[in-house]
Amino acid sequence: MRDRPLSYLLLVPAFLIVLATTLYPLAYSFVIAFREWDLTKQNRPGTFVGLDNFTYAFTEPGFLNSLWVTTIFVVTSVVLTLFIAMSLALLLRRTGRMHTFTRIILILPFAMSPALIGVSYRFMFNPEFGVIAKGLGAIFPALQGVPWLASPDLSMAILVLTDVWHWSPYMTFMCLGGLASVPRETEEAARIDGASGFRIFFGIVLPQMKGVLMVVAVLKTIFALKMFDQVVTLTGGGPGNSTETLAYFIFNVGFKWYDMGYASALAWILTGIMMLISIWYVRMLLSERKVATA
Amino acid sequence: MAEVKLVDVEKRYGSFLAVPKQSLTIEEGEFLVLLGPSGCGKTTTMRMIAGLEEITAGDLMIGGERVNDKPPKDRDIAMVFQNYGLYPHMTVAENIGYPLKLRGFNRQAREARVAETAEKVELGKLLKRRPSELSGGQRQRVALARAIVRTPKLFLMDEPLSNLDAKLRVTMRAELKHLHHELGVTTVYVTHDQMEAMTLASRVAVMRKGRIVQLDTPKMIYSEPANLFVASFIGSPPMNLIDGVISQGTFTAPGVNLPVSAADRGNVVLGIRPEELDLVPADGEGLFSGLLYALELTGESTLVTLREGTTVVCARGGADFDAPIGTRCALVPKAGARLHLFDKDSGERV
Ligand SMILES: Nc1ncnc2c1ncn2[C@@H]1O[C@H](COP(=O)(O)OP(=O)(O)O)[C@@H](O)[C@H]1O
Ligand SMILES: [Mg+2]
Repeated sequence: MRDRPLSYLLLVPAFLIVLATTLYPLAYSFVIAFREWDLTKQNRPGTFVGLDNFTYAFTEPGFLNSLWVTTIFVVTSVVLTLFIAMSLALLLRRTGRMHTFTRIILILPFAMSPALIGVSYRFMFNPEFGVIAKGLGAIFPALQGVPWLASPDLSMAILVLTDVWHWSPYMTFMCLGGLASVPRETEEAARIDGASGFRIFFGIVLPQMKGVLMVVAVLKTIFALKMFDQVVTLTGGGPGNSTETLAYFIFNVGFKWYDMGYASALAWILTGIMMLISIWYVRMLLSERKVATA
Repeated sequence: MAEVKLVDVEKRYGSFLAVPKQSLTIEEGEFLVLLGPSGCGKTTTMRMIAGLEEITAGDLMIGGERVNDKPPKDRDIAMVFQNYGLYPHMTVAENIGYPLKLRGFNRQAREARVAETAEKVELGKLLKRRPSELSGGQRQRVALARAIVRTPKLFLMDEPLSNLDAKLRVTMRAELKHLHHELGVTTVYVTHDQMEAMTLASRVAVMRKGRIVQLDTPKMIYSEPANLFVASFIGSPPMNLIDGVISQGTFTAPGVNLPVSAADRGNVVLGIRPEELDLVPADGEGLFSGLLYALELTGESTLVTLREGTTVVCARGGADFDAPIGTRCALVPKAGARLHLFDKDSGERV
């Protein structure tokens, strides 16, 4: 390559943009995570406080609450999404006009903006005029006038519902891809060897989908950890702080209380959690690879 | 052990007719080979018997019972898949033992059976490996072992030796033959290798475009091919097929003059096996005379190809036969040689 210097030169603008928009803020947030900086009092980072911001977090009820809320949210939404996606994939596995059509309309929930989903669900669960609230009330009289979003448990359930509704289609497609890569012969061999449908699924198909299911689970976990949009537009973190996820809490610390140092430290804690999950996942994948390429 | 009966069975994929309506009875304890070129419907036929493919029309009977609607697991069969169909997440031992596990054998019985079977297919040292760590031939032997690990009513084997090297193929062939002798289980065996068919089968069904064109013992298939397709498919090197005419009791073609006992007709194909021709000196009473075109030493004999005009004839000569290319040679049928006459248009035996 004779034009090597030129090719590096051409990369410079792209690199500068990444530097300015990603790397610099990242590094900067890392720096201020170790400083005291109340934006209402001063317009530049204050004194170095060591790990204070981090240690404070683990004594502060707001953070601990958001950690708990996030855990509940992540576990329920990941488990439900995985279960629904896998079930839908099994149903949509066969080919045919109906199945193709269903696959197409399945894309719609995923095409919707999460913020918008929050707004629409907020309306739909409004006890006065919400279509779901009213509909449920009509079918089950006991549910008439239930103040859905005013109950901590119910609003968490609805938050999970919106997220599962949003993500299941996409994850269904990933599962469909995984299912398609399971060789037909392995199932057929099992049928002949004498396995029941139940055993074929759990003993033959599912183990071969381990890789894909891991990807789905990890991706979904990471997305769920970042849950923010619907919290803003659907529950506002409430009632109380019952749906205050980590991302939403960090946002509040930074842009409502203007505590930049603390918010940065929290953001790095969240990043750390995600990194741990990713590392664990990559290691699992590497050890799985040998098996999966049969 | 059971008799398998296909009665007017037909298979369509949409509008594509893969196996046209036909009947076939596979007798109890028989080793039936489905032989035919790739794409002729062997696998489809076998999959219908296995219950993996729905039968479009007709009845399938196993052991006197109509099983069209019986799921594969209740048909008590074992099958070797063309593409192996091994379970990638299980070790070789687990793969082989899976049918036993599903049928409730305890661990001890399973391990003993698996070890014994693995020995038969020379896999004893690989029991702990996963399929991904095996060669094609080794995978195929795992598939074979998984099928023969238990004694079902019926064995279905779809090209189970296709990926083995020549030596192992011969060993496995003998192993299968012995196994069949020992257990006497009805076996349907698919192959496109005529040698395998001839050596293993009690009867061979030669298939073409989904249809069985001849069903007979290997001996009869070889000595009395029902049509040109069978004649050219069976035998290595294949039967010589010479286009010509018969007039006044003599078959004539470029370089050929052969008395035959058949009525006069044009458009006829004469077939004679290379093994049934003798090389004679060029000016002898050669019934075919031609120029030496190629010599191939196979070890125990030499394949001699002669050519005259458009006629090409191959004969099997002694291992020590040698002559320069281009030499004129002649061939005569051996005493008792079988001449086959086919109608050129229909391909049927005359
Ligand atoms: N699932 C299928 N859908 C449509 N056509 C098929 C299908 N399976 C096989 N065929 C066709 O049926 C014919 C017979 O196939 P097959 O039984 O696999 O042949 P063989 O085993 O003799 O090579 C082929 O022409 C093949 O293309
Ligand atoms: Mg086939």
